[in-house]
Amino acid sequence: MFFKSKPMWGKKTKLKSSYDVVLIGGGLHSLATAYYLAKEHGITDVAIIEKNYIGYGGAGRNTAIVRANQRTQYNVPLYKEALDLWPVLTKELDYNLMFNNCGNLNLMHSEAAMNAARMNIATAQFHGVESHLIDAKEAKELVPALNISEDITFPIHGAMFHPPGGVVRHDAVVWGLAKGAAKMGVEIHQQTEATGISTKNGKVTAVVTDKGIINTKQVLISAGGYSASLIHGFLGIKLPISVLTIQAMVTQPLKPILDHVVSSGAYHCYANQTLKGEIATGAHMDQWPNYTTLNTAHYIKHQAEALSEFLPALRGVRFMRIWGGLADMTPDMAPIMDGNEQVEGFFMDCGWGYFGFKSCSAVGRHMASFMATNTCPDILKPFALKRYQEHRLMGETAALVNYTPDN
Amino acid sequence: MMNRFNHLPTLKIDTSEKIPFTYKGKQYYGTKGDTVATALYANGVRIYARSLKYHRPRGLYSMDGECSNTMMEINGVPNVRTETTLLKPGMVIKEQNVKGSAENDLMGFIDKMDWAMPAGFYYDTMHKPARIWPVAMKQIRKAAGIGKLSPDHHMPGRYDEIFPTCDVCVIGGGPAGMTAALAAAEKGLRVILMEVRPWLGGQFDYRTAEYANRQTCHDRAVQLAKEVEKTDNIRVFTHTANVGAYNNNLITGFQVGTEKDSFTERYIEIRANSVVVATGCIERPLLFENNERPGVMQAGCALRLANTYGMLPGKTGVFSIGHDLGLEAAVALHDLGMTIPMIADIREDGQDPALLKAVTDRKITLLKGWVATEAHGRKQVKKVTLKSLDGTAEKTFDCDVLVASAGFTPLTGPLVVNQAKLKYDAHTNFFLPTDLPKKMHAAGRLLGYENAESIEASGQLAGLKAAYDCENCSIADLGEAKKIMESVPGPARGTKLVMAPVKGRKTFICFDEDTSIKNVKQSIDKGFDVPELIKRFSGAGLGPGQAGIPGHNLPLFTAKYQALPDIKIRPTTVRPPLVPTLIATYAGTNHTMLKRTPIDDLQRKDGGIFRNIGVWQRARYFSKDFTSRKEIENVRDRIANLLGPLGQPTHIEKVGRVVCVGGGIGVAPLHPIAKGMKQAGNEVVTIIGARSRELVILEDEMTAIADRCICCTDDGSYGRKALVTEPLKELCIIPGMTTGIFSGKPHGCHGGDQPVPGPNARKVTEKVVNIDVSNEAFGFSECKEFKVADTIPVKAMRLGCG
Amino acid sequence: MALTITCPICGKRNGYEFRYGGEEKGPRPDEKDLTPESWCDYVHMNKCVAGVQQEWWFHRDGCGSWFTIFRDTTTNLEKETPEAKE
Repeated sequence: MFFKSKPMWGKKTKLKSSYDVVLIGGGLHSLATAYYLAKEHGITDVAIIEKNYIGYGGAGRNTAIVRANQRTQYNVPLYKEALDLWPVLTKELDYNLMFNNCGNLNLMHSEAAMNAARMNIATAQFHGVESHLIDAKEAKELVPALNISEDITFPIHGAMFHPPGGVVRHDAVVWGLAKGAAKMGVEIHQQTEATGISTKNGKVTAVVTDKGIINTKQVLISAGGYSASLIHGFLGIKLPISVLTIQAMVTQPLKPILDHVVSSGAYHCYANQTLKGEIATGAHMDQWPNYTTLNTAHYIKHQAEALSEFLPALRGVRFMRIWGGLADMTPDMAPIMDGNEQVEGFFMDCGWGYFGFKSCSAVGRHMASFMATNTCPDILKPFALKRYQEHRLMGETAALVNYTPDN
Repeated sequence: MMNRFNHLPTLKIDTSEKIPFTYKGKQYYGTKGDTVATALYANGVRIYARSLKYHRPRGLYSMDGECSNTMMEINGVPNVRTETTLLKPGMVIKEQNVKGSAENDLMGFIDKMDWAMPAGFYYDTMHKPARIWPVAMKQIRKAAGIGKLSPDHHMPGRYDEIFPTCDVCVIGGGPAGMTAALAAAEKGLRVILMEVRPWLGGQFDYRTAEYANRQTCHDRAVQLAKEVEKTDNIRVFTHTANVGAYNNNLITGFQVGTEKDSFTERYIEIRANSVVVATGCIERPLLFENNERPGVMQAGCALRLANTYGMLPGKTGVFSIGHDLGLEAAVALHDLGMTIPMIADIREDGQDPALLKAVTDRKITLLKGWVATEAHGRKQVKKVTLKSLDGTAEKTFDCDVLVASAGFTPLTGPLVVNQAKLKYDAHTNFFLPTDLPKKMHAAGRLLGYENAESIEASGQLAGLKAAYDCENCSIADLGEAKKIMESVPGPARGTKLVMAPVKGRKTFICFDEDTSIKNVKQSIDKGFDVPELIKRFSGAGLGPGQAGIPGHNLPLFTAKYQALPDIKIRPTTVRPPLVPTLIATYAGTNHTMLKRTPIDDLQRKDGGIFRNIGVWQRARYFSKDFTSRKEIENVRDRIANLLGPLGQPTHIEKVGRVVCVGGGIGVAPLHPIAKGMKQAGNEVVTIIGARSRELVILEDEMTAIADRCICCTDDGSYGRKALVTEPLKELCIIPGMTTGIFSGKPHGCHGGDQPVPGPNARKVTEKVVNIDVSNEAFGFSECKEFKVADTIPVKAMRLGCG
Repeated sequence: MALTITCPICGKRNGYEFRYGGEEKGPRPDEKDLTPESWCDYVHMNKCVAGVQQEWWFHRDGCGSWFTIFRDTTTNLEKETPEAKE
């Protein structure tokens, strides 16, 4: 036997009564924050509190697409940094995150969409992110399965091609970061539920869990879709968030047929082929807030109809598994990252919608710096909660699906 | 080709009719009624495919399609489950994922490389140095995947969709399901019964064991099926797999069409008031070394090969089983001529005495407390090693078939995806459903009942509970059924054995992903200690068959390996679709999502270039010069975009026989057409449809003018329970008739509006309409209803001021 | 999941006929003494209850009425009252 099997994130330990930092949520943003707290700031007395197991939520339920072709000047640099970090992390963590740098193709189905793409591309290029416009024929050369005929519901006019994007093995990122963080002394407590945060004189004093009270001066809530409910429940802070179930599905595995990530706003559909050969596809969110993570008959049928039109070869494949996760959507489709504002020592990193995966590495790094130094890094400043009061919403609609329950 | 039995009452094949097909480029013949897999089996094929990772030979194992063992490419469509696909003339069948052939696969050597590929090995390799990863990734992509699909693949066949409603939907057409359907139907309810196999009967269908009073189980299945078929208010969908169940009882599935149907497959979405789930059980795989070697198969599979498809699975069969069905299969196969050197039964006691006697009478050796530990033979089973459960005694037998089955596992899928919980039950060794959703009931073998009487009693009770949900059953009737349920034998005891006493290097817990027991142990040691994480890390249960094979064994083994108490045994999550379903089938008719204007055809003829505007598709340009200069000039100087008349008036002449089909309010515009057609001397048949009785309109008027008027409703509350297309299809197949078909749709559909802009607008308009459009008579912003060319009713609004 | 919503006029209907109208947040704040905080609170902020919440719905493909219901956001099932538990 070449490889010895030993626990990847240390032996299970008992929860201590105090830590320097407590991170609520065992998803990617917490793990990345913990990793960088330890690595770049030497803060290792950190506990991650996870109700289920690490990667239970969005971290394990996304379709693993990474890209940096967001729309606004505040967002693009953040996503670019995250995109550049994948090969670095693979090396640092000594864990193959399987970054498949295959490029993303956003299909455009109208002249208006083509114009919007031009603007998007201009922003991307300004920030040094490779992105360009191609016509339908070029798109067909990249993705031979594409139907570029005129007689489909939404004929393809062209596409925005973003070569540095691609797919990363999402589970590997969870386990890799957990491994890296645990190695430096971070404790990961699974099956442990946070039930409250104690404050005194406007300062965080402790986190209450079902396994006991933990004294701490700093706490971060980055619990994905559950963040808004926890933050309101623990501290009474209301957030401009709607939590929606978002679904994704995979087909039975095929030999290579799709070499790029293909997405279409008009069809509400994206598709890419995983390394295992499955076609992973999704996009739809329920049009009303809920925490069910249940899939719907309505959606799987819609998805089949959409794929039948723009990737008709896929009519011959079978859907094998569909699942749901949570997306915490904000009105401007940009996240909320804030700290030391409402309560001293309380930090939040939420409202990521369905962008949480792509951004986790860079955000973890900056949140770690925020928490370690108690000063907000410039790059995170525009994402403060106050922006909603000040009418500085971001208009981040580079997203594939640009709706929240409010529109 | 093997000689097939043709005298068994249970057969579903017709040996007099041969069906030709092509396999690996050569022509072979199957028999009518064969599945692709059984036709190949009859032609001596034993290795159907190679496994995903290790390229191990794989053969017929379960016949229920819960693994990828027999997936092949048929007529260019990849990953078809040959064991559940009926053979059709001219099918072209190819093997998948092989270099060479399934028989001689050049990649077979990988099987010996497993030491280099522990669970999750790819996470620890191929990234140092970074530049090798892109190269390695390319190779991984090539090696991964099973079927091949060409990017320009065109999916053959016709796909349809229906959305019926009913009072009670019964999933599963076995004895419990049929009893439940009959019980609910007797209370006057509209029942839908869906069954995954092409015929009703479930497990009774292929069993010749005694049911009662010399009647066999098969006889009983036939009797129940006849009763179901003659009950008008039960609508039966056979060859219909249930794929999803959602709250408020929305049930989805898909049906495979027969030669007589107009569809290849159709998507079915049922809204039911109450649901009965009687999906029964599949067999739980037995875990031992090489437990998936071709020649190893489950008891139900071996029995059905003989009883349903008329062939013996092999010459000599060793049995290693843990349930009475195994003994029953051994006796039946022995009687049909198979040599059975030995039956190893996991159970020390608890066997049916009658079966024990039958085994003894036939002088078959039965060893209690024994189990198969290894199948030998490089490509097929040639020999098997059996051991006592404690591993002390050992015997070896030559054989070409090893029937191996640890027990049963219930098909709780529809309940679980609709949020029922599963709880481990030590008596049955089942994950039994608890906390069933509202108006959803379970019945039959999936609750652990094995006795025929108990199965039917539970079906009766569930059917009445469903009727009670619909307020059509009294408490007294329900009480009666409950009393009967209490008097019949309870759930049978299930075998506990998880794994034969082996190390598990080549003991596969998941066939599709080649996950061995060793891989599971490695995952747990690495800290992936819950089944859900083991699934993700080792891949077990993530293949084309999903949790079909590992669903039961994985949580049991995980708990055992970690020495957890029963209460901590947690099942893995089941996710829809419960049966992998073609994208083509889900898409159904896949009608265009956009609406088209009444003058769509004309504009297309004129070379219109169309764009989508809201939900409408409209002509945006009439030349490739997208500046629209000509149109703009026309609007300024003359008139533009006038392309009327708005659709053609119906062309009425004598053609012979005319069918006028309309649904809902579409019946209204159909009425004058039908009348005109009759006046022109045609034989007129009208078919009118509506969702339910209350929504049928103009029936009397239609009856008065037509020679025949057929009324259909979706829910069967009036006239025929059918879509209008069903009687239409029947009418259309009468040969020698000249037939014209008109379909009605409501006029004045909003959005089909046409602007008439330009200084000459009034001049043109006044020529074609029957009202005064002068500045005085038709004011600015006024809205009027009138007719264009005396035929087309329109609603118009004046927008310009000139 | 197959959501159904009970419209006060049309009865229990398929959820896709309706449009979600947001959490019930009480009356619109008085424009007198309106602060950015209270306006932001009214316009954007949600409680995101994981459980039963009162919320607005619009019967878009039906009678067009606006009404509130109680719904459990963890199961998508309607409830009679905010306390209703099963």
